[in-house]
Amino acid sequence: MASFEDELRSALRRREPPQDFTERVLARVAAAPVRSATRMSQPWVRWVAAIAAALLLAVGSLEYRHYQGERAKSQILLAVRIAGGKLNKAQKKVQMVTHRSNS
Amino acid sequence: MKAAGLLTLSLLLAGAAPAQQVKWNFDKLAARASDTVDVSLDGSLLRLATKFLSDDDKDEAQVKKLVGGLKGVYVRSFEFKKPGEYSEADLDSFRAPLRPPDWQRIVGAHSNEDGETVEVYIKSEGKGIGGLAIIASEPKELTLVNIVGAIDLDSLSELGGHFGIPEVDVEKEKKK
Repeated sequence: MASFEDELRSALRRREPPQDFTERVLARVAAAPVRSATRMSQPWVRWVAAIAAALLLAVGSLEYRHYQGERAKSQILLAVRIAGGKLNKAQKKVQMVTHRSNS
Repeated sequence: MKAAGLLTLSLLLAGAAPAQQVKWNFDKLAARASDTVDVSLDGSLLRLATKFLSDDDKDEAQVKKLVGGLKGVYVRSFEFKKPGEYSEADLDSFRAPLRPPDWQRIVGAHSNEDGETVEVYIKSEGKGIGGLAIIASEPKELTLVNIVGAIDLDSLSELGGHFGIPEVDVEKEKKK
């Protein structure tokens, strides 16, 4: 038990870094290539992206409006066909009755 | 006195109220129907539809003229696989909102031959027509039409001869 504690103590003992540790780290940092600014960070790219998004939105809403209009048109034609047909049938029946009573 | 005043005010408001869609409940029928046609066009959609109707096409131009002053067009048509899927009580529930003095039944035609009944109701508004309702029932089909706004019945009837619907003229048929 005592030996286990000794091993643990030895493993967790504070160790000083080698003397050249700081220099090596700084040398590596200096050697690493400096990253250039990303394309998205360019102002003109942001403007182009914003304009493209606005255009897409406008085209999309126009397309949707067109779809809605065409759908409404076909619906009104269908409604008029049904309503006109039923009214026509009622008219036919009334005309037949009138014709029979007159003849 | 106060109650009479309130009554007068409510009657005045009712008279001034804009024409509205007939409140029909289709839930029961929709569940039993094999096929359903549902057209619901309010004022804004009607205005949009008229922009897409051509002036060059004779039929479309006529429809454009007809729906120009309308506030709403609502059509529900149910087809059933067998007769008896709807009852007289169902029909009564559709007739219920179409009572005088607001509504008048102008046509009630029934044919024993095909069992079809067509009822046409109009809503008077001022000197003209403020709305139209049609209840057309066949053994395996039920159609309800509600047109809100000033509808020209002659024009609508004329359109019966368009869009593939044969024009009906009893006199012409007899002569043939």
